[in-house]
Amino acid sequence: MVNVITSFSRITILSFVLIFTLIDLVQIFEYKLNEAVYSILSTIQSVMVVLFLFNGTFVLFMAKEDAGMIMLGIFTCIFFVGFYVAVYRLSVFVPRALINNMFLFISFGIIALARLKTEFAAKHMIFLFITLVISLLVIMGLKYVDRIERFMYIFAIVGIILLLIVAFFGQVENGAKLSFAAGPIRFQPSEFIKLSFLFFISGCIVTFKDMRGFLIASIGSAVHVVALVLARDLGTALIFLTAYVFVMFIAYKNYIVLSLEIGVATIGGILAYHYFPHIQTRFIAWTDPLSVVDDKGYQISQSLFAIGTGGWLGSGLNKGMPNKIPVVTMDFIFAAISEEMGAIVGVCLIVCFACTVMLILNAAFNCNNSFYMLVSSGIAVLFAVQTILNIGGVIKFIPSTGVTLPFISYGGNSLLSLMLCFLIVSCSNNLYFDSRQGRRHDR
Amino acid sequence: MIDKKTHRLIRKEIYIVGILFFGLFIAMIVYFCNYVNNGSKEFIYNAYNSRFSVFSDDVVRGNIYTADGKVIAKTAYDSEDNEVRVYPDERLFCHAVGYVGQGMAGLEAQYSFDLLKSNITLEDQINNNLAGQKSPGDSLYTTFDYDTQLAAFDGLGMFDGAVIAIEPDTGRIVAMVSKPDYDPNTIAKYWDDITDSTKNKSSLLNRATSGAYPPGSTFKIVTTLAYLRANNGDDTFSYSCNGKFEIDDYTIHCSGNKKHGSEDLLKAFSNSCNSAYAYMGLELDRNAFIGTSEDLLFNTTLPTLLDTTKKSSFKIDDKTKDSIVAQTAIGQGSTTVSPLHMCMIVSAIANDGVLMEPYLADKLISADGQLVSQTEPVEYGQLLTKEESQLLQSYMAAVVEEGTAEKVNFGEELTVYGKTGTAEYTEDKSVTHSWFVGYAVDDNGNKLAVAVIMEGAGYGSKYAAPLAAKVFEAYFQ
Repeated sequence: MVNVITSFSRITILSFVLIFTLIDLVQIFEYKLNEAVYSILSTIQSVMVVLFLFNGTFVLFMAKEDAGMIMLGIFTCIFFVGFYVAVYRLSVFVPRALINNMFLFISFGIIALARLKTEFAAKHMIFLFITLVISLLVIMGLKYVDRIERFMYIFAIVGIILLLIVAFFGQVENGAKLSFAAGPIRFQPSEFIKLSFLFFISGCIVTFKDMRGFLIASIGSAVHVVALVLARDLGTALIFLTAYVFVMFIAYKNYIVLSLEIGVATIGGILAYHYFPHIQTRFIAWTDPLSVVDDKGYQISQSLFAIGTGGWLGSGLNKGMPNKIPVVTMDFIFAAISEEMGAIVGVCLIVCFACTVMLILNAAFNCNNSFYMLVSSGIAVLFAVQTILNIGGVIKFIPSTGVTLPFISYGGNSLLSLMLCFLIVSCSNNLYFDSRQGRRHDR
Repeated sequence: MIDKKTHRLIRKEIYIVGILFFGLFIAMIVYFCNYVNNGSKEFIYNAYNSRFSVFSDDVVRGNIYTADGKVIAKTAYDSEDNEVRVYPDERLFCHAVGYVGQGMAGLEAQYSFDLLKSNITLEDQINNNLAGQKSPGDSLYTTFDYDTQLAAFDGLGMFDGAVIAIEPDTGRIVAMVSKPDYDPNTIAKYWDDITDSTKNKSSLLNRATSGAYPPGSTFKIVTTLAYLRANNGDDTFSYSCNGKFEIDDYTIHCSGNKKHGSEDLLKAFSNSCNSAYAYMGLELDRNAFIGTSEDLLFNTTLPTLLDTTKKSSFKIDDKTKDSIVAQTAIGQGSTTVSPLHMCMIVSAIANDGVLMEPYLADKLISADGQLVSQTEPVEYGQLLTKEESQLLQSYMAAVVEEGTAEKVNFGEELTVYGKTGTAEYTEDKSVTHSWFVGYAVDDNGNKLAVAVIMEGAGYGSKYAAPLAAKVFEAYFQ
């Protein structure tokens, strides 16, 4: 009986995700759509997310005979309602398509974690509510801060100091220093510094409208990146670097500078390859994982076995062996999803990530304030690079860099940072209006 | 507020960045789909992939059949109702079909995934699931012809060596035997014995596809083609043989020190005259010689649909000593070939120069008789021109009619084309491998190409050619 439900659910889960994805491809043209059409499509998407969530948790409930699975589904829905109401109160325009995507990713995360390690899913659920409360407080704070860019130097200094503390005193994990512990909480500063970093470079650009902004932002970015390289957190260093390059491009529209920066970054990458042995081993594991399958290639090989064995339709939830992949709940969660739900769902997920990037850029494009326009664009770049580095690493498209998959991987730090990012994007127009007490003109 | 138009103008870079990243996402999707569709099948057959054990929880491993429907591997149950893999013909198909148990090998490994998939109707699968029964896996039909395989196997007898037979116009492998062999039914029990390097003669190695033998006189096919190409297809050649050819301080003897007298190219080929070929080899431009051999797939990975093959090696250059070049031209020296490769060259000649890629797995059939997938013959390309093939065909016919294989009885109904070989492989020139490569055509135009090597047996005309005759007889019956 369980087998039949699992097998059949492969098709229903696939259908829900597929319908969601197809609508997503229409929704990225949200500003060209009729308001009624947009609303209908968004509603269908929301229904698909809820159906997907309950289908997944129901299969797990049957397979694991654990009623907690259904509870997870219900709590996720409560979270959705809470988040939606919060944005509705905070912002005039609610970007429903963007929020639906975030809900889809969260549902994927909950189902995958519940499948892999049930206690992680429960903790993840608690993180969701905590991060919602914290990020709402932060957003309300932002609404009452006049001209946030005045504090750009403070953002840069705090960020750099925190990164240096991690670089020298952090705990070593997988060859990189990422975090330090404060009591029971593991604090990973780089996740939040992503945001403060964007505030810093956007602040530089809108404060000085000339070369000074460019220079100060560039120097500040370089220090951030060097601090991350010192901590050997090269994946995050790459994310920061890319965000800097493209935010500068959007602000200064200079193709020559763009190509120069990409050139310098490439040289930096080659130098890093020569000076960091653990990059070289990752490179070998990337080019020919089976040659080092015992050792450095084990993880990526297991990931590819999982994806390949699952095939297009997947093995069905709880029918594969995703726990064979080391750190599957963090970096390699995409392989687990693809193995059990199928590669078609995997493709849909990638498309949804790409659409989400476009939706964030839509919000940036229509933001009536330059500062939050730049911050939102930066968030889109961060999100895109992080997703590409993660999924690309899992499917052997690029060498693995050890970054997490947004909203889906287990971990409270990245969840809080992402939730903040999405709330800022969702409310980008309204954050500005409230703080305009002086006579600031939009630039 | 700025008006919409300027707004769009000053912020268009946002969408340039967007399109850039969207492109990266699409590239990633293409890569991902390509992996799932094409790359993964090869990758996941690995001992480190423990997922196969999960498949066998729901599916009974399918059977393997010959083309004429004989079971050569099946799943049966022992007295305690455990599944065991049974090979009814024991050693007969061991290298090609492989084994399951002590790891996997051969077709069992290559098609493990497919044998453990069940393509019976969804309804039956659901019923089996509900009843708690396993579904039957798909069956693999190979290209083997049972009688031909048996003839090759019996013909090789106690000798070590290999026989391989391919249909030239499709690439279907109808027989493939390698000895020494092993019994796949008991491989786990005798594993230590079989892999013991002190007493084994590498029984697990499939000599037909992965053997590296000196080609001996069968290589004269390559030398002849190189000569024809050097002379723009003109086969004018004359040489007077006095039974030996001296170069530097090395002497090459004709077989049995026989003096062949005055010869043209056809005579030299059919007599397998070492002196004439040593002389011819020295006349050839070495780079052109290498080029011809590489057109015939030396020094490259053989184009086949098989899982493992061995590269054949042919190496001479400007620094190679003349005596070595002379030996290389008659198939000695450091040249090595696999029987599969020789058989592929002959099938290309038989097929007017066009090589079809050899394959073993014909089709997958579900337990309720539905075709799941079928291998279509793959044309690799033209190895040599039609004119060159026809000339070589006439030379190979002469070998059988009036040359070294003249006394071999190939039967009345068949037209046989071939080349014998006797290859030295140690300092002791009295122990030689016995080679025959060739093909036969019956009245209906059906063709079969064969390569036979019998290790240490002696003259090709005495041992290998009669074995080829038995293979032809079994196939064309």
